[in-house]
Amino acid sequence: MTSLIPLVVLIPLLSAALALALPGRRRAQQLITVFALTSVVALSGSFMWFVDQHGTQVMQVGGWAAPFGISLVVDRLSALMLTVSAVVLLGVLLFSLGQGLADGDEETPVSIYYPTYLVLGAGVCNAFIAGDLFNLYVGFEILLVASYVLITLGGTGARIRAGVTYVVVSLVSSVLFLAAIGLVYAATGTVSIAQLTLRIAELPGNMQLLLNLALLIAFGIKAAIFPLAFWLPDSYPTAPAPVTAVFAGLLTKVGVYAIIRSQTQIFPDSNVDPLLMVIAVLTLVVGILGAVSQLDIKRMLSFTLISHIGYLIFGISLASVAGFAATIYYIAHHIVVQTTLFLAVGLVERHGGTTSLISLGGMLRAAPVVAVLFFIPMLNLGGIPPFSGFIGKLGLFTSAVELGSAGAYWLVGVGALVSLLTLYALARAWSLAFWRPRESLLEAEGTPAIAPSREAAILHGRETAMLQQLHDAPDAEPVQEQKETPKLMVAATTGMVAVSLLLTIFAGPLYAYSVRAGEYLADSGRFVERVLDEPSPLGGGSGVTQIPGFDPQGESEEGTS
Amino acid sequence: MGLLTTVLFALSIFALIIYPVIRRFGRNAFYFAALGPGTAFVALLVAGLTAPELNERLTWVPELGLNLTLRMDQLSWLFSLLVSGAGALVLFYCRNYFSAKDEGLARFGSVFLAFCVSMLGLVLADDVYLLFIFWEATSVFSFLLIAHSFGGRTSRASALQALIVTTFGGLVMLVGLVMLSVQTGSSELSDILASPPTGPATTTAVFLTLVGALSKSAIFPFHFWLPGAMAAPTPVSAYLHAAAMVKAGIYLIARLDTAFASVPGYRETLVLLGALTMISGGLRALRQFDIKLIIAHGTVSQLGMLAMVLGVAEPEAQFVGIALLFAHALAKAPLFLIVGIIDHRAGTRDLRKLSRVGRQTPFVALLAILASLSMVGLPPMIGFISKEAALAELFTLGATDPMSVIAFAVMIVGSALTVAYMLRFLWGTFATKRGVAPTAELHRESPLIHLAPTAFVLCALAGGVFAPVTDALLQPVAASGAEHLALWHGFGVALWASVLIVIGGALIGVIAIRWSLIPPAWPDRLSASHIYWLLTHWVDVLAVRLTALTQRGSLPFYLVVILAVAVVSLGGTLLVSGSMPSEYDLISSPVQLPIALVIIVAAVFATRARTRFQAVVLVGVTGYGMAAIFALHGAPDLALTQALVETVTLIAFVLVIRRLPQHIGVRTTAGRRWIRALLGTGIGVVLGAFALAALAARSSAPISDYLPELAHLGGHGDNVVNVMLVDIRGWDTLGELSVILAAATGVASLVFVSTRVSNLPRLSRKQAHLRVQEHMRRIEDPNDPVQRRTWMLAGRNLDPSRRSILLEVVVRLLFHALILLSFYLLLTGHNSPGGGFAGGLVAGLALVARYLTGGREELGATVPVDAGRILGAGLALASTVAILPLFFGQAALASVWFDLNLGPLGTIPIVSSTFFDIGVYLVVFGLVLDVLRSLGAEVDKQEENESRRGVPSIDASGQVTP
Amino acid sequence: MTMPLILVLVMVVLFAAGVYLLLDRSLTRVLLGFLLVGNATNLLIFLTSGTFGAAPIYGVDPADMSDPLPQAFILTSIVITFGISAFILGLIYRNWHLARQDEDEVRDDAHDQELAEAESLTTEEVTDEELSQTKEFASSSDPEPASQQSDESTRDEHGASSNGAAS
Repeated sequence: MTSLIPLVVLIPLLSAALALALPGRRRAQQLITVFALTSVVALSGSFMWFVDQHGTQVMQVGGWAAPFGISLVVDRLSALMLTVSAVVLLGVLLFSLGQGLADGDEETPVSIYYPTYLVLGAGVCNAFIAGDLFNLYVGFEILLVASYVLITLGGTGARIRAGVTYVVVSLVSSVLFLAAIGLVYAATGTVSIAQLTLRIAELPGNMQLLLNLALLIAFGIKAAIFPLAFWLPDSYPTAPAPVTAVFAGLLTKVGVYAIIRSQTQIFPDSNVDPLLMVIAVLTLVVGILGAVSQLDIKRMLSFTLISHIGYLIFGISLASVAGFAATIYYIAHHIVVQTTLFLAVGLVERHGGTTSLISLGGMLRAAPVVAVLFFIPMLNLGGIPPFSGFIGKLGLFTSAVELGSAGAYWLVGVGALVSLLTLYALARAWSLAFWRPRESLLEAEGTPAIAPSREAAILHGRETAMLQQLHDAPDAEPVQEQKETPKLMVAATTGMVAVSLLLTIFAGPLYAYSVRAGEYLADSGRFVERVLDEPSPLGGGSGVTQIPGFDPQGESEEGTS
Repeated sequence: MGLLTTVLFALSIFALIIYPVIRRFGRNAFYFAALGPGTAFVALLVAGLTAPELNERLTWVPELGLNLTLRMDQLSWLFSLLVSGAGALVLFYCRNYFSAKDEGLARFGSVFLAFCVSMLGLVLADDVYLLFIFWEATSVFSFLLIAHSFGGRTSRASALQALIVTTFGGLVMLVGLVMLSVQTGSSELSDILASPPTGPATTTAVFLTLVGALSKSAIFPFHFWLPGAMAAPTPVSAYLHAAAMVKAGIYLIARLDTAFASVPGYRETLVLLGALTMISGGLRALRQFDIKLIIAHGTVSQLGMLAMVLGVAEPEAQFVGIALLFAHALAKAPLFLIVGIIDHRAGTRDLRKLSRVGRQTPFVALLAILASLSMVGLPPMIGFISKEAALAELFTLGATDPMSVIAFAVMIVGSALTVAYMLRFLWGTFATKRGVAPTAELHRESPLIHLAPTAFVLCALAGGVFAPVTDALLQPVAASGAEHLALWHGFGVALWASVLIVIGGALIGVIAIRWSLIPPAWPDRLSASHIYWLLTHWVDVLAVRLTALTQRGSLPFYLVVILAVAVVSLGGTLLVSGSMPSEYDLISSPVQLPIALVIIVAAVFATRARTRFQAVVLVGVTGYGMAAIFALHGAPDLALTQALVETVTLIAFVLVIRRLPQHIGVRTTAGRRWIRALLGTGIGVVLGAFALAALAARSSAPISDYLPELAHLGGHGDNVVNVMLVDIRGWDTLGELSVILAAATGVASLVFVSTRVSNLPRLSRKQAHLRVQEHMRRIEDPNDPVQRRTWMLAGRNLDPSRRSILLEVVVRLLFHALILLSFYLLLTGHNSPGGGFAGGLVAGLALVARYLTGGREELGATVPVDAGRILGAGLALASTVAILPLFFGQAALASVWFDLNLGPLGTIPIVSSTFFDIGVYLVVFGLVLDVLRSLGAEVDKQEENESRRGVPSIDASGQVTP
Repeated sequence: MTMPLILVLVMVVLFAAGVYLLLDRSLTRVLLGFLLVGNATNLLIFLTSGTFGAAPIYGVDPADMSDPLPQAFILTSIVITFGISAFILGLIYRNWHLARQDEDEVRDDAHDQELAEAESLTTEEVTDEELSQTKEFASSSDPEPASQQSDESTRDEHGASSNGAAS
C-alpha cells in the first residue's frame, strides 16, 4: 500500500502528459482524464481505510531515507483530504464535461483544459502528501500555475483582469513561502517536516515565533484569512463555473491544510493561538458582511467562502483534540458544500442567463430541479441542521465551550452570528432569484415611474454595472435566451449534493475518524517517529547510519513496516 | 427500530412520495395525504394508552452526543397527538380550500407533511441536539410555507423575517444547549433536567435557551414575526401558527420549568414578558380590520398568557398552563379555518366589507361561536375549565408568590381583552351591518370543508363536557396536587373572576364595535417590526460600507495590505525580540564588491527606467549578476542555468514588448511612489535582518553535509546538485516539470485563444530542399534577392529586406553545434556541471537563433512537431521513470545503474536517472519552443493579419500606424 | 557561520526594487518586479548556505564545499520562475491585445467600484396593512402595486389609514 502513495500524483501527471500529447482528440482526452481521476478516488479511498487500520504510511521517494530524501506521508488527515479532493475533482470534471459537450470548444480550448486540470489535481494531491517543506512549496506551485491557466481560460477581458489579480497575489505568496523556507533552512539546516519538529523545538522562542509568522503569512494568503483575502472575490467569480467551483472547494483548503500542518507538526507548542482566534473572528465577520453586501450570487458565494475559512481557523486556534477533529470534519464538509453551491450556481446561470440577483427571477417555476439543488447546499452552508454544516459547527461550538476560555466563548458567539448572517444572505438571494416572479421583476426594472423608491433606483444603478460585467463574462448569456442544460451537468451537481448528504448520514464514523485524526495531530511525536523511523530526538541521524540508495528496497520496506 | 422512530421515518418517506401523487391526481390527493398523519395519530394513541413511557435510541454521532434519542412521556404524547391529529384534519381541509387550478400543490403537500414530521420529532426528541434539529427544520419549512403563494413582495419578506427571527433564536438556543450539555456531561434532555447544573454559567445557558423558546413562540420582543407569517395560506396559519409550531417554545418552557425554576431571574423574565405580550397582543387584535389579523394578534396575546402562566413555574401553574395550551390549540385552529372559508367565499377579510355573512352561512357561524366561547373561556368548552383552574391556582399561589399575583391580575385584564376582540371578530365576520352591502358569494364551498373545523370544535366541546377525562389526561404531566379540572367548582374566586372578565370584556367589545373606538395605533417608529427592519437595514449598510472599504478592487491595494502585514508582524517581532547575531563579516571575497555594485545600480535604475526596453535590460543585468555570484561561490550549475534562463527570458521579453508601446506610462502620484518605496525597503530590510538572525540561530549541522557521500554511493553520480535534482530530490523536479508544462500550455492558451494545436505553415524539409535546389538551378541575376541561394530552409519565404546572408550562414552552422553541446551537457550532467535543464535551454537557444533569423516559417520547418507533444513526451518519460521501480517492488523514482561495456571503448555507467534527465531536457526544450511558437510566431501572424485588415496597430516606436 | 553583509545588502536592494515595481499598475513593471524579487529570494536561499567553497562535486572534502542543498532549491525555483514569467508575458500580450489602449494596465474591479457608492438591497418591513392586502388564491398571485412601494411610503400610508380608522 505504501509504495502506491506516489501514484495519486503520478497517475494524473502521466495522464496529463498523454492528454497533452494528443491535441484535438477530445474524446480520448476525456477518457484519460476521467480514468485518472477515478483511479485517484479509488486509491485515496483505500488509503483512508488502510491508514485508519495500520496507522500513518510513509513513503521515502527513491528509497532515500528522511531527512535526506523526500518523504511522502499519508496520515488520517492527508488521506481524508485526498479522498474528498479527489471526489470533488471528479464531480467537477463531469460537470465541465457536460458543459463542454454542450458549448463546444469555442469557450474553453479543451486540449488545454484537461491536461491543466489534471496537473491541478496532481498539485493538490502532492501538497496533501508532502512530508517535506520544500516539496510542499513545489506542490503549491504545481496547483497554482495550473490554476493561473484555468482562471484565464478563454482570455476574455474580465478573466484577464481577474487572472492578473489572482496571479500576482499568488506570486507574492509563493515568494514569501520560498523565502520562509530559506529562513527555516538557515535556522535549522533541514526541510524535512519530521526533522523540523525536533530542530525547531531547539531554537530560541522568538526565532520560533518569527518562522511561524513567516509561514503563517505565506499560507494565510492562500487560505484567504482576514487581512490577506481581499483579492479573492475579485478573482474567483469570473472564471468558468466549474473552475470557480474547484478553486473555491480546494485551493483555499490547501492553504488551511498547510496551516494545520505547520501549527500541529512544525510548531506543536506555538503561542500564536490567541492571534489565530482574532484572525478567525475577523475573517468570519468581515467575510460574511461582504457576502451580505453582494447582489451577484457568484461573488456572494466567494465571500461566504472567505468567511467560512474563519470557522476552520476557529477550530485550529483552539489547539485541542476536539478542536482539530471539528476542523477536519468541517474542512471535508466545506470543500464539498462550497463546490456544490458553485456548481448549482452554474446551473442557475445557464437557466437564468445571469447570476445577478437583479435580473434573476421566477427560477422556482422555471427550473424546480435547480431550485432543489441550490436550496439543500444553501441550508447546509447556512449551518441549518441536520446537514453536515450543522454537525461541523456543533463540533466547533462544543470543543470551544469545553475549552471554556473567554476567547473561546467569543468565537462561539461570533460563529453563531455569522451562521445567521450566512443564512440571511443566502435566503434573501433565494427569495429574489427563485420566488420573485419574473413579471414583477420586469415591472420593477421597466417602469421605475411606478416604483420611485430608493431601492429600485439602487437596483437600476447596480444593474447596469452588473450587466456590463456580464457582457464580459462569456459563459453568461443575456437573460432572455437560455441554453438547454445537458443532463450530465445536472447529474454531476446532483451527485455532489448526494455526497454532501452522505457526509451527513455517515457523520458518525466520519466524525470518529476525524477525532482519531485530531488525536494523531495533537501528538506531533508520533509523526516524527513514523517518518524518521526512530523514536529518539536524534532522529536526523537515522538516514546516515545506513547509507540509502544501495538498497532502496530496504528503505521503502521500513516505510511500510 | 421502535415505534416512534418508525413513525417518523415512515412519515418522512410519505412526505416524499406525496409529491408525485399530488402532481398526478391533483388536489383530491390531499385526502390521501391526510391519511399519513391520521395513521400516525392512531398509532401514537394506541402506543400511549398501552405504554406509559417509550424510550428509543439510535446512535448517530456519539462523539458530539448527537443521537436519535426519542422519548415519549405524557406531555410528549399529548403533544404528538395534537400535532398528528391537527395535521391530518388540516390536510383534509386543504382539499377543498385549494382550487384545482392552484399551482404548486404538490410542493405544498410534501412540505406540509415534512413540517408535520419535524414537529412530531420536536416533541418526541430527548437528545437536545436532535430537538434543535427538528426545531430548525420547523423554521425552514414554515419559511417555505409562508411564501407558498410567492406572488407578492410581502409574503416573501415576511417569510424571510420569520426565518431570520426564529433562526436567530434557534442559534442562541443552540449555544445555550451546548453549554448545558457540556456542563451536565450528557446531551439527553431527561438527564439534564434530572440533574440540572448550577452556577452563573448555567444561568447564562438557560437564558440563552429561553431566547430560542421566546422567539419561537412569538413572545415580546419577538412577537412581530407571527402576524407577518399570516401571509401564509390559511391552513398553514391554522396549523403552524396556531396549533403546532408556535407551541414549541411553550413546550420547551414547560420542560425547563421543572429543573430551572430556581435560576435567578427565570420566573420574573417569563412572567413579565408574557404579561407584556398578552396585553399588547390583545390591544393590537382589537385594532385590526382584517379578521385574520384579529385572530393572529389574538394568538400572540394567548401565547403571552401561556408563557406567563408557565413562567410562574410552580407544578400547579405548569399543569394549568398545559391545560390552557391545549384549550387554545383546539379553539384557535378552527377559527383560522373558518376565516379561510369566509375569505374563500367572500373574497375579502375586511370586516368593514363583510355583511350578512352569518345569515348566508349559519353553520359556519355556529362553529365560530362555539370556538370563540372556548377562546374566551365560557362553559361548556375546554377553554372554560382550563381558565377557571388557572385563575384558581394563580390565586392560591398568589398568597405566597408576588409573580403569581401579577400573573393573576394580568390574566384577568388580558382575558377581558380577549372577550372584547373575539366579540368584535364575531360581529365583524357574521353580523349584518347597516350601510354595508350584503357580501356577494364568490365560491360555493363543498360541505366537506366544514369537517375539519367541526372536528376541532367538537374536541374543544368534549374536552369541556367530559372534564374528568381531560383532567385524567392532563394531571400526569406535572406532579402537582393541582385542583382537578371541572365545569363547576362552586362560587370560588375563579368564578367571580370569570364573570368580571366576561362583563368587562363585553363592555370594551361593545364600545369598540358601536362607536368603533379602538385603541390608538402604536407609533410605528417604536414597533418591533420596524426595529427589525432598521436592524437589517443597518447590517446591510454596514456591510456595504465595510466591503467598499476592504474591496477596493485594485491589485496594488491588496498587495500593499499583504506586504504591510508581513513587514509589521515580522519586523515588529524582530525589533522586540532583538535576536540579531553578535559578529558580522562585511565581505568574504573582493570580487563580491564590483558585482554587488553592478546589481544594485541596475536594480535601482530598473525602477526609474522610462522605456520598457531599458527596464528589461537592466533587470537582465541583475540576473547575469546573480549568475556571476553563483559562479564565484561554487555553484557552477546555478551559474550556467541562471545565465541561460536569463538569456531566454530576455528574448521572450523582447518578443512581447516589440508589440507594446515603447514607453511605460506613469499613473502613480508621488505619494503613492513613496509608499511603494517605503514598503519595498521595509520588506528588504526585514527579510535581510531575519536572514542574518536565522542563520545565526542555527543550532545543528545541516543535513547536506552527508549529501556528497550519498550522491556518490547511492546516486552514482559525482555532481551532487545534479544527483539531488534527478535522484535524491527527483520528486521536486517532477513537480517542477509539471509546472513548466502547465505554464507552457498557459502561454499557448493565452496567445492562440481558440485552439492549442499550432497552425504554423508546415513546410516539410523535403519541400524546402526542393525549393532550394530549384533556386540554385536558375541563378541568372546574382543581385536579385529572390533568386539568391538560400541557407535557411525558409529563406525563400522571407522578406528580402529582413534577410542577412551572413547571419543565415552563421546560424545554420551554429545550430548543430549548439544541439550537440546540449546533448553533451545533458549526458555529462550527472558527474560535472550541466544536466537536463542546461541542455534543454541550450537547445532552446539554438531554436531561438533559427527563429530570429528565419521567422516563423523557419521555426515551423525546424521543429515540425507540436510543442505540446514534446512537453507531453518529456513529462511522460519522467513520470514513467518514476513509476517503473514500483513494478520491481521498489520505491518510486528509485534509481538503478549498470556499466555498459563497450569492449575496447571501455565502459560507461548508465544510471536510470539519466532517462529522467532526458525527460527534463525535453520539457524545458518544449517550453522554449512553445514560447517561440506563441509569443514569436503567433504574434507575428496576428500582427500581419491586423495590418492586412488595417487594424491600427502600435509599432515599437509607439506611433499608431493605420 | 554568517553571510557577507554586502550580499545581504544586494538582496535587500533587490527586494526593495522588486516590491517597488510589483506595486506598479503597468503589468510589464509587475513582471520585472517579480523577476527582481525572485532573484532576491534565490540570493536569500543561497546565502543560507553559510560558508561558500568549491563546487559540490564529489571528491572535495565536504567541509570546504558549498552547501549543495540550497543550490538544488534555487535551481528548481529558477526554472519555475522562468515558466511563470513566460506565462505572464502571455498575459501581458493578451491584456494589451484585448484593450487596444496604449497601456497594459492592471484595471480595477468594476463590482467593487460601483459597490463603493451603491447602497445595498435591504429587506422590506412587513406591516399589518400590507398583510391584510395579501391574497391567497392563485387568481391573484400577481404582485399587487403595494409591493412596488418603498418602505417609507408604505408605513406612512399605514399610519394614515389607521388614523383614519380611529377618527
